[in-house]
Amino acid sequence: MIPLEQLRDSFEGVIPSIIATTDADGMPNISYLSHVHYVDETRVALSNQFFSKTAANVARNGLATVMVVDGYSGQQHVLDLVFERSETQGETFERVAVHLAILESRMSGIMKLRAVDIYRVEDCRAVPAAHPLVAPEPLGLPDLMGKVAKLSARMSGCAEPETLLDVTLEGLAEIFRYCHSMILVPDGERGGLTTIASRGYEQFGFGAEVPAGNGIIGVAAERRRSVRITDFSRGQRYIQAVRAMAGVEDATPIPLPALEKPLSQIALPLVAQSRLVGVLFLESTERFTFRHRDEEALTVIAAHLATALSFLSGERDRAETGQRDKADQPAEDQPTGRQVAVRFYQRDGSLFVDDEYLIRGVPGRLLLHFLEDYARSGKQDFLNREIRRDRRLQLPDFKDNLETRLILLRRRLEEKAGPIKLERADRGRLRLTLTGRPVIEVIED
Amino acid sequence: MLGPKLAEFIEGQVMMLFATRDASGRPMIGRGSGARFDPESGSLQFLASRCQWPRAVEEAQVGRPIATTFVRAADYKACQIKGRILDARPADAACRARGEAYVNQQLTQMLALGVTRMQLSSTLSDQELICLTIEPQEIFEQTPGPGAGRRLMPEGLA
Repeated sequence: MIPLEQLRDSFEGVIPSIIATTDADGMPNISYLSHVHYVDETRVALSNQFFSKTAANVARNGLATVMVVDGYSGQQHVLDLVFERSETQGETFERVAVHLAILESRMSGIMKLRAVDIYRVEDCRAVPAAHPLVAPEPLGLPDLMGKVAKLSARMSGCAEPETLLDVTLEGLAEIFRYCHSMILVPDGERGGLTTIASRGYEQFGFGAEVPAGNGIIGVAAERRRSVRITDFSRGQRYIQAVRAMAGVEDATPIPLPALEKPLSQIALPLVAQSRLVGVLFLESTERFTFRHRDEEALTVIAAHLATALSFLSGERDRAETGQRDKADQPAEDQPTGRQVAVRFYQRDGSLFVDDEYLIRGVPGRLLLHFLEDYARSGKQDFLNREIRRDRRLQLPDFKDNLETRLILLRRRLEEKAGPIKLERADRGRLRLTLTGRPVIEVIED
Repeated sequence: MLGPKLAEFIEGQVMMLFATRDASGRPMIGRGSGARFDPESGSLQFLASRCQWPRAVEEAQVGRPIATTFVRAADYKACQIKGRILDARPADAACRARGEAYVNQQLTQMLALGVTRMQLSSTLSDQELICLTIEPQEIFEQTPGPGAGRRLMPEGLA
């Protein structure tokens, strides 16, 4: 029997699989399956809620034969299956449910997974390529451990959360050749995610939002599971749905820095201490950029990134303790001249500068706070610690949330290149600079 | 049993599969390499490559039941025809020519739909063709959607 491990690309669901069963009269039945899921070296799982004849036949004699097709090479394998059990929860069930959730979002259908059926594989045979047009590529399972080690070492050398974000994305491009990537963090308020770092796009898209549960990024965050699509060429409409995610209700949306025509994508949840701290998302214009082995390697990188991001944000807080409060320095002369019109909406914390949408939520409230202090007293330097203590800001509970919000706000201001800038003065201290006099208007609920 | 529309459909640009089973009820799967409906006898001639699908062809014995499916790749319209095998023998020259023409047409069409040459290398074969004569007994709708699995009247495939 061919080891199932060698067929991992056939379990991607790119080309539908075929299942045959036999009824009580010995009459065969053929049906299509979107996915045959790999469970382990001797088992596969099927989500078979659609084909009643198949289910009835399997319930009778427990036998099924499936043909899976490698979506990349086209190579076919036939698997002899024997039904073992149905599962309604657990690791395999969750994995299959995530795939269905993605299909659902692509097709607007209702496909709630009721159960997965686990089958034992009695035999696995290759179908000979009797009409070779091109020599099939040998099945390769690249060892990515060396690359993982190299990037992990670089990440371990980062002392700042912001450096860590950039070093990770740079390393993914340089070492793994994953050239289009972004990191999103939970917005802490609406259950969605906000882009905080990106690489390989025309625009950075800092502040671009993805609503909870939408698309592969939203599903990966909501279910805390990796989602991988190896070949988009059979479902291009999906990207339109991804693009629609970037909308903001009352403000001009910041577009998600997505590729126009991706052919493969992967989203990995960043989880530290059982808490979602973000999503690592990568995409490619090539088919099969992210295979099973890539997912394994990226899972290790994502775990390292999540832990390090959480740890460094905490470290920043400890480093500030004992530091003299340098925030109340004498104010520099405030610039005169032109006015900088700042409009803030209490309802969702959205902030506009000179009538242009900047950001909303916690980063919006943070900037309003800085600007109000600046307008009142000329204060320009702000310490993380004092920001966290300020109850007016309605900050989220977790430390890393403040740190990532500040990074996001600073980057968004930098990308916007407007009259307001936020710079890192030194560790744990931010400096606000304006090239005009702020005139603040706060719109109540 | 098959009307002209259905006959035209299965003889057209469709991918085809067949399933047989062994004495223990274990099903066998294979792809077809061309089909033709004979209106005079009412039987179906179905071609399959023995070297590509040895087990499925081995169990395609006279008197045994068989299921066949036909899918149009362009719009996923599909049907399943079940029946009994009346005859199984190596394809004659005419059948071989038909099988070769089918494989060539399918390759051209699939390439036009964006399937790569590498992917198609494993899919179809016109080598060692066996011609199965099938008596159709039941026809089912198999186009994905709510109607899949519905039994069709002879001319039901619109």
